[in-house]
Amino acid sequence: MEELDLLKKAWQKDSHSYEQISEVEIYKMLHAKSSSIVKWILIISLLELSLGFILSVVMSFTKYDTRNSDLLKKWNIYELYIGSSILVYVVVFYFIYRFYIMYKNISVVDNTKQLLSSIIKTRRVVRNYVIFNLSTFAVIFITIFSLGLYHGYIDAMMQNGIEHPVIPVKNAIICLLIVIVVTAVLTFVAWLFYRLLYGILLRKLKRNYEELKKIDL
Amino acid sequence: MSDNLEQLFVKQLKDNQNIIHKICRLYTNDDDAHKDLFQEITIQLWKAFPKFRGESKFSTWAYRVALNTAITLYRKSTRSIATTSYEGQKHFLPQEDYNFEEEEQIKLMYQAVHQLNDIEKALVFLYLEDKDYTEISETLGISEVNARVKINRIKGKLKKILNP
Repeated sequence: MEELDLLKKAWQKDSHSYEQISEVEIYKMLHAKSSSIVKWILIISLLELSLGFILSVVMSFTKYDTRNSDLLKKWNIYELYIGSSILVYVVVFYFIYRFYIMYKNISVVDNTKQLLSSIIKTRRVVRNYVIFNLSTFAVIFITIFSLGLYHGYIDAMMQNGIEHPVIPVKNAIICLLIVIVVTAVLTFVAWLFYRLLYGILLRKLKRNYEELKKIDL
Repeated sequence: MSDNLEQLFVKQLKDNQNIIHKICRLYTNDDDAHKDLFQEITIQLWKAFPKFRGESKFSTWAYRVALNTAITLYRKSTRSIATTSYEGQKHFLPQEDYNFEEEEQIKLMYQAVHQLNDIEKALVFLYLEDKDYTEISETLGISEVNARVKINRIKGKLKKILNP
Protein backbone atom coordinates (compact mmCIF):
# COMPACT_ATOMS: atom_id res chain seq x y z
CA MET A 1 0.00 0.00 0.00
CA GLU A 2 1.16 3.48 -0.70
CA GLU A 3 2.53 5.44 2.22
CA LEU A 4 -0.09 8.14 2.08
CA ASP A 5 -2.90 5.62 2.02
CA LEU A 6 -1.47 3.97 5.09
CA LEU A 7 -1.66 7.29 6.87
CA LYS A 8 -5.15 7.77 5.51
CA LYS A 9 -6.27 4.53 7.10
CA ALA A 10 -4.93 5.61 10.47
CA TRP A 11 -6.33 9.10 9.98
CA GLN A 12 -9.77 7.78 9.14
CA LYS A 13 -9.80 5.57 12.20
CA ASP A 14 -9.35 8.81 14.05
CA SER A 15 -6.86 7.07 16.25
CA HIS A 16 -5.24 10.36 17.08
CA SER A 17 -7.75 11.84 19.40
CA TYR A 18 -6.65 15.23 20.49
CA GLU A 19 -6.88 16.86 23.84
CA GLN A 20 -10.36 18.30 23.62
CA ILE A 21 -10.98 21.99 24.05
CA SER A 22 -13.91 22.86 26.28
CA GLU A 23 -16.76 25.23 25.47
CA VAL A 24 -15.47 27.69 28.05
CA GLU A 25 -12.11 27.77 26.31
CA ILE A 26 -13.77 28.32 22.94
CA TYR A 27 -15.75 31.24 24.41
CA LYS A 28 -12.50 32.75 25.56
CA MET A 29 -10.97 32.33 22.11
CA LEU A 30 -13.85 34.13 20.44
CA HIS A 31 -12.93 37.27 22.26
CA ALA A 32 -9.21 36.99 21.78
CA LYS A 33 -7.41 39.27 19.36
CA SER A 34 -6.75 38.03 15.87
CA SER A 35 -3.18 38.26 14.62
CA SER A 36 -3.94 37.56 10.99
CA ILE A 37 -1.85 38.93 8.14
CA VAL A 38 -4.89 40.73 6.74
CA LYS A 39 -5.30 42.61 9.99
CA TRP A 40 -1.68 43.72 9.89
CA ILE A 41 -1.97 44.78 6.29
CA LEU A 42 -5.05 46.82 7.17
CA ILE A 43 -3.34 48.59 10.07
CA ILE A 44 -0.18 49.40 8.13
CA SER A 45 -2.10 50.45 5.03
CA LEU A 46 -4.37 52.76 7.02
CA LEU A 47 -1.31 54.31 8.61
CA GLU A 48 0.21 54.89 5.19
CA LEU A 49 -2.98 56.22 3.70
CA SER A 50 -3.56 58.64 6.54
CA LEU A 51 -0.02 59.77 7.27
CA GLY A 52 0.40 62.03 4.23
CA PHE A 53 -3.10 63.34 4.63
CA ILE A 54 -2.84 64.14 8.35
CA LEU A 55 0.56 65.75 7.87
CA SER A 56 -0.71 68.14 5.24
CA VAL A 57 -3.81 69.05 7.26
CA VAL A 58 -1.71 69.75 10.35
CA MET A 59 0.74 71.73 8.26
CA SER A 60 -1.95 73.99 6.85
CA PHE A 61 -2.74 75.31 10.34
CA THR A 62 0.81 76.29 11.24
CA LYS A 63 2.64 79.58 11.01
CA TYR A 64 5.24 77.76 8.99
CA ASP A 65 2.62 77.20 6.33
CA THR A 66 1.76 80.91 6.10
CA ARG A 67 5.42 81.70 5.65
CA ASN A 68 5.64 79.06 2.97
CA SER A 69 2.63 80.36 1.09
CA ASP A 70 4.06 83.89 1.22
CA LEU A 71 7.19 82.53 -0.32
CA LEU A 72 5.23 80.64 -2.98
CA LYS A 73 3.28 83.82 -3.80
CA LYS A 74 6.53 85.70 -4.16
CA TRP A 75 7.78 83.04 -6.57
CA ASN A 76 4.53 83.21 -8.55
CA ILE A 77 3.71 79.54 -8.13
CA TYR A 78 1.06 79.81 -5.44
CA GLU A 79 -1.82 78.99 -7.83
CA LEU A 80 0.11 76.10 -9.23
CA TYR A 81 0.71 74.86 -5.68
CA ILE A 82 -3.00 75.10 -4.74
CA GLY A 83 -4.03 73.41 -7.98
CA SER A 84 -1.67 70.50 -7.57
CA SER A 85 -2.62 70.13 -3.88
CA ILE A 86 -6.26 69.69 -4.86
CA LEU A 87 -5.24 67.16 -7.48
CA VAL A 88 -3.19 65.25 -4.91
CA TYR A 89 -6.13 65.15 -2.49
CA VAL A 90 -8.44 63.83 -5.20
CA VAL A 91 -5.99 61.09 -6.05
CA VAL A 92 -5.49 60.23 -2.36
CA PHE A 93 -9.23 59.89 -1.84
CA TYR A 94 -9.46 57.72 -4.91
CA PHE A 95 -6.82 55.42 -3.46
CA ILE A 96 -8.58 55.26 -0.10
CA TYR A 97 -11.85 54.40 -1.84
CA ARG A 98 -10.20 51.70 -3.95
CA PHE A 99 -8.52 50.27 -0.90
CA TYR A 100 -11.81 50.14 0.99
CA ILE A 101 -13.57 48.33 -1.88
CA MET A 102 -10.75 45.83 -2.29
CA TYR A 103 -10.46 45.23 1.44
CA LYS A 104 -14.18 44.52 1.67
CA ASN A 105 -13.73 41.87 -1.01
CA ILE A 106 -11.33 39.83 1.05
CA SER A 107 -13.31 36.86 2.25
CA VAL A 108 -12.00 33.94 4.20
CA VAL A 109 -14.74 31.73 2.71
CA ASP A 110 -13.45 32.20 -0.84
CA ASN A 111 -11.32 29.46 -2.28
CA THR A 112 -7.67 29.71 -1.33
CA LYS A 113 -6.45 31.00 -4.67
CA GLN A 114 -9.09 33.72 -4.78
CA LEU A 115 -8.38 34.74 -1.21
CA LEU A 116 -4.66 35.03 -1.85
CA SER A 117 -5.30 36.95 -5.04
CA SER A 118 -7.62 39.48 -3.41
CA ILE A 119 -5.19 40.13 -0.58
CA ILE A 120 -2.34 40.65 -3.01
CA LYS A 121 -4.48 42.96 -5.15
CA THR A 122 -5.44 45.01 -2.10
CA ARG A 123 -1.79 45.40 -1.28
CA ARG A 124 -1.13 46.49 -4.83
CA VAL A 125 -3.48 49.44 -4.34
CA VAL A 126 -1.44 50.61 -1.38
CA ARG A 127 1.78 49.99 -3.27
CA ASN A 128 0.58 52.21 -6.10
CA TYR A 129 -0.41 54.78 -3.52
CA VAL A 130 3.09 54.72 -2.09
CA ILE A 131 4.61 55.04 -5.57
CA PHE A 132 2.31 57.99 -6.23
CA ASN A 133 3.26 59.62 -2.93
CA LEU A 134 6.96 59.15 -3.42
CA SER A 135 6.92 60.54 -6.95
CA THR A 136 4.82 63.52 -5.86
CA PHE A 137 7.27 64.09 -3.05
CA ALA A 138 10.16 63.91 -5.49
CA VAL A 139 8.59 66.38 -7.93
CA ILE A 140 7.69 68.86 -5.17
CA PHE A 141 11.08 68.54 -3.55
CA ILE A 142 12.94 69.16 -6.79
CA THR A 143 10.71 72.10 -7.75
CA ILE A 144 10.80 73.86 -4.38
CA PHE A 145 14.47 73.25 -3.82
CA SER A 146 15.53 74.48 -7.27
CA LEU A 147 13.31 77.54 -7.02
CA GLY A 148 14.66 78.26 -3.56
CA LEU A 149 18.23 78.03 -4.77
CA TYR A 150 17.45 80.14 -7.81
CA HIS A 151 15.70 82.93 -5.90
CA GLY A 152 18.21 82.85 -3.09
CA TYR A 153 21.01 83.32 -5.60
CA ILE A 154 19.25 86.15 -7.46
CA ASP A 155 18.36 87.94 -4.20
CA ALA A 156 21.93 87.71 -2.98
CA MET A 157 23.21 89.15 -6.27
CA MET A 158 20.73 92.03 -6.18
CA GLN A 159 21.75 92.86 -2.61
CA ASN A 160 25.28 93.08 -3.89
CA GLY A 161 24.16 95.76 -6.32
CA ILE A 162 23.94 93.73 -9.51
CA GLU A 163 20.81 94.87 -11.35
CA HIS A 164 20.28 92.09 -13.85
CA PRO A 165 21.85 89.04 -12.32
CA VAL A 166 22.36 85.97 -14.50
CA ILE A 167 23.23 82.53 -13.23
CA PRO A 168 25.97 80.82 -15.20
CA VAL A 169 24.58 77.74 -16.97
CA LYS A 170 27.27 75.51 -15.53
CA ASN A 171 26.38 76.43 -11.94
CA ALA A 172 22.67 76.01 -12.64
CA ILE A 173 23.18 72.52 -14.02
CA ILE A 174 25.39 71.47 -11.12
CA CYS A 175 22.82 72.72 -8.60
CA LEU A 176 20.01 70.94 -10.38
CA LEU A 177 22.00 67.72 -10.50
CA ILE A 178 22.71 67.89 -6.78
CA VAL A 179 19.03 68.43 -6.05
CA ILE A 180 18.04 65.49 -8.23
CA VAL A 181 20.62 63.15 -6.71
CA VAL A 182 19.59 64.07 -3.14
CA THR A 183 15.93 63.50 -4.02
CA ALA A 184 16.66 60.21 -5.72
CA VAL A 185 18.59 58.92 -2.71
CA LEU A 186 15.87 59.96 -0.24
CA THR A 187 13.12 58.44 -2.36
CA PHE A 188 15.05 55.26 -2.87
CA VAL A 189 15.67 54.79 0.85
CA ALA A 190 11.96 55.28 1.55
CA TRP A 191 11.08 52.77 -1.17
CA LEU A 192 13.59 50.24 0.15
CA PHE A 193 12.14 50.50 3.64
CA TYR A 194 8.68 49.98 2.25
CA ARG A 195 9.73 46.98 0.17
CA LEU A 196 11.40 45.39 3.14
CA LEU A 197 8.34 45.83 5.33
CA TYR A 198 5.99 44.23 2.85
CA GLY A 199 8.51 41.75 1.64
CA ILE A 200 8.46 40.23 5.10
CA LEU A 201 4.70 40.54 5.51
CA LEU A 202 3.72 39.11 2.15
CA ARG A 203 6.44 36.53 1.61
CA LYS A 204 4.32 33.58 2.60
CA LEU A 205 1.27 34.75 0.67
CA LYS A 206 3.19 35.25 -2.53
CA ARG A 207 4.93 31.91 -2.20
CA ASN A 208 1.65 30.07 -1.72
CA TYR A 209 -0.03 31.98 -4.52
CA GLU A 210 2.79 31.11 -6.90
CA GLU A 211 2.56 27.49 -5.84
CA LEU A 212 -1.16 27.39 -6.62
CA LYS A 213 -0.63 29.03 -9.99
CA LYS A 214 2.11 26.55 -10.78
CA ILE A 215 -0.25 23.63 -10.21
CA ASP A 216 -2.59 24.92 -12.90
CA LEU A 217 0.11 25.73 -15.45
CA MET B 1 -23.97 39.32 17.65
CA SER B 2 -26.61 37.51 19.65
CA ASP B 3 -25.82 35.11 22.44
CA ASN B 4 -27.83 32.46 20.67
CA LEU B 5 -25.58 32.58 17.67
CA GLU B 6 -22.56 32.41 19.92
CA GLN B 7 -23.95 29.39 21.74
CA LEU B 8 -24.71 27.63 18.48
CA PHE B 9 -21.25 28.36 17.15
CA VAL B 10 -19.44 27.20 20.25
CA LYS B 11 -21.35 23.95 20.25
CA GLN B 12 -20.73 23.27 16.56
CA LEU B 13 -17.09 24.07 16.93
CA LYS B 14 -16.70 21.89 19.99
CA ASP B 15 -18.24 18.94 18.17
CA ASN B 16 -16.11 19.50 15.08
CA GLN B 17 -12.87 20.53 16.74
CA ASN B 18 -10.93 17.51 15.54
CA ILE B 19 -10.92 18.93 12.02
CA ILE B 20 -9.09 21.95 13.31
CA HIS B 21 -6.75 19.93 15.48
CA LYS B 22 -5.79 17.88 12.44
CA ILE B 23 -5.00 20.98 10.42
CA CYS B 24 -2.99 22.42 13.30
CA ARG B 25 -1.09 19.16 13.56
CA LEU B 26 -0.06 19.39 9.89
CA TYR B 27 0.82 23.07 9.93
CA THR B 28 2.56 23.56 13.24
CA ASN B 29 5.61 22.14 14.92
CA ASP B 30 4.91 22.47 18.63
CA ASP B 31 2.13 22.69 21.17
CA ASP B 32 2.24 26.46 21.49
CA ALA B 33 1.94 27.01 17.78
CA HIS B 34 -0.80 24.40 17.65
CA LYS B 35 -2.86 26.30 20.22
CA ASP B 36 -2.07 29.59 18.56
CA LEU B 37 -3.26 28.44 15.15
CA PHE B 38 -6.31 26.80 16.72
CA GLN B 39 -7.23 30.12 18.27
CA GLU B 40 -6.73 32.07 15.04
CA ILE B 41 -8.87 29.57 13.12
CA THR B 42 -11.56 29.85 15.80
CA ILE B 43 -11.55 33.65 15.48
CA GLN B 44 -11.77 33.49 11.69
CA LEU B 45 -14.57 30.91 11.81
CA TRP B 46 -16.48 33.05 14.27
CA LYS B 47 -16.04 36.17 12.13
CA ALA B 48 -17.36 34.32 9.10
CA PHE B 49 -20.09 32.46 10.99
CA PRO B 50 -22.90 35.01 10.47
CA LYS B 51 -22.58 34.34 6.75
CA PHE B 52 -22.77 30.60 7.21
CA ARG B 53 -26.23 29.68 6.02
CA GLY B 54 -26.13 26.01 6.70
CA GLU B 55 -26.29 25.17 2.99
CA SER B 56 -23.33 22.91 3.50
CA LYS B 57 -22.36 20.96 6.55
CA PHE B 58 -20.60 22.93 9.27
CA SER B 59 -17.56 20.71 8.81
CA THR B 60 -17.35 21.31 5.03
CA TRP B 61 -17.55 25.03 5.58
CA ALA B 62 -15.01 24.86 8.38
CA TYR B 63 -12.49 23.05 6.16
CA ARG B 64 -12.27 26.00 3.88
CA VAL B 65 -11.97 28.69 6.52
CA ALA B 66 -9.52 26.67 8.58
CA LEU B 67 -7.27 25.84 5.63
CA ASN B 68 -7.38 29.42 4.40
CA THR B 69 -6.34 30.60 7.83
CA ALA B 70 -3.44 28.16 7.98
CA ILE B 71 -2.27 28.90 4.44
CA THR B 72 -2.91 32.61 4.25
CA LEU B 73 -3.76 34.48 7.39
CA TYR B 74 -1.79 32.79 10.09
CA ARG B 75 1.52 34.34 10.90
CA LYS B 76 3.96 33.02 13.41
CA SER B 77 7.66 32.80 12.94
CA THR B 78 8.04 29.66 15.02
CA ARG B 79 6.10 27.56 12.61
CA SER B 80 8.61 27.81 9.80
CA ILE B 81 11.21 26.07 11.91
CA ALA B 82 10.87 22.42 11.08
CA THR B 83 11.47 20.33 14.12
CA THR B 84 11.24 16.65 13.49
CA SER B 85 10.96 15.86 17.16
CA TYR B 86 7.41 17.12 17.43
CA GLU B 87 5.00 14.25 17.75
CA GLY B 88 1.83 16.22 17.95
CA GLN B 89 -0.42 16.67 20.90
CA LYS B 90 -0.67 13.78 23.26
CA HIS B 91 -2.79 11.28 21.51
CA PHE B 92 -4.36 8.27 23.00
CA LEU B 93 -4.57 5.07 21.12
CA PRO B 94 -7.00 2.48 22.40
CA GLN B 95 -4.94 -0.25 24.06
CA GLU B 96 -6.35 -3.11 22.02
CA ASP B 97 -5.52 -1.27 18.80
CA TYR B 98 -2.00 -0.44 19.72
CA ASN B 99 0.52 -1.59 17.22
CA PHE B 100 4.02 -0.38 17.84
CA GLU B 101 5.23 -0.87 14.30
CA GLU B 102 2.29 0.88 12.75
CA GLU B 103 2.58 3.71 15.21
CA GLU B 104 6.24 4.21 14.31
CA GLN B 105 5.46 4.24 10.64
CA ILE B 106 2.72 6.81 11.09
CA LYS B 107 5.06 8.98 13.10
CA LEU B 108 7.51 8.89 10.22
CA MET B 109 4.72 9.74 7.81
CA TYR B 110 3.85 12.83 9.80
CA GLN B 111 7.47 13.90 9.78
CA ALA B 112 7.53 13.51 6.01
CA VAL B 113 4.31 15.49 5.56
CA HIS B 114 5.82 18.27 7.65
CA GLN B 115 8.47 18.72 5.00
CA LEU B 116 5.90 19.58 2.34
CA ASN B 117 4.96 23.18 1.56
CA ASP B 118 1.72 24.83 2.71
CA ILE B 119 -0.23 24.04 -0.44
CA GLU B 120 0.92 20.44 -0.58
CA LYS B 121 -0.12 20.02 3.04
CA ALA B 122 -3.59 21.31 2.19
CA LEU B 123 -3.89 18.77 -0.60
CA VAL B 124 -2.70 16.01 1.69
CA PHE B 125 -5.17 17.08 4.37
CA LEU B 126 -8.13 17.03 1.99
CA TYR B 127 -6.99 13.70 0.60
CA LEU B 128 -6.70 12.20 4.07
CA GLU B 129 -10.17 13.50 4.85
CA ASP B 130 -11.34 11.52 1.82
CA LYS B 131 -12.62 14.55 -0.07
CA ASP B 132 -13.30 14.01 -3.74
CA TYR B 133 -11.37 15.90 -6.38
CA THR B 134 -14.28 18.22 -7.06
CA GLU B 135 -14.26 19.45 -3.50
CA ILE B 136 -10.46 19.62 -3.38
CA SER B 137 -10.37 21.72 -6.53
CA GLU B 138 -13.14 24.01 -5.29
CA THR B 139 -11.52 24.53 -1.93
CA LEU B 140 -8.13 25.50 -3.31
CA GLY B 141 -9.21 27.11 -6.59
CA ILE B 142 -7.34 24.80 -8.92
CA SER B 143 -8.64 22.53 -11.65
CA GLU B 144 -9.77 19.02 -10.85
CA VAL B 145 -7.36 17.36 -13.25
CA ASN B 146 -4.42 19.27 -11.89
CA ALA B 147 -5.43 18.51 -8.31
CA ARG B 148 -5.27 14.82 -9.19
CA VAL B 149 -1.90 15.19 -10.90
CA LYS B 150 -0.52 17.14 -7.97
CA ILE B 151 -1.64 14.58 -5.42
CA ASN B 152 0.06 11.84 -7.37
CA ARG B 153 3.23 13.92 -7.40
CA ILE B 154 2.98 14.47 -3.67
CA LYS B 155 2.66 10.73 -3.15
CA GLY B 156 5.85 10.29 -5.12
CA LYS B 157 7.54 13.02 -3.14
CA LEU B 158 6.56 11.43 0.17
CA LYS B 159 7.81 8.08 -0.99
CA LYS B 160 11.15 9.66 -1.81
CA ILE B 161 11.37 11.36 1.58
CA LEU B 162 10.57 8.11 3.36
CA ASN B 163 12.82 5.86 1.28
CA PRO B 164 15.78 8.01 0.34
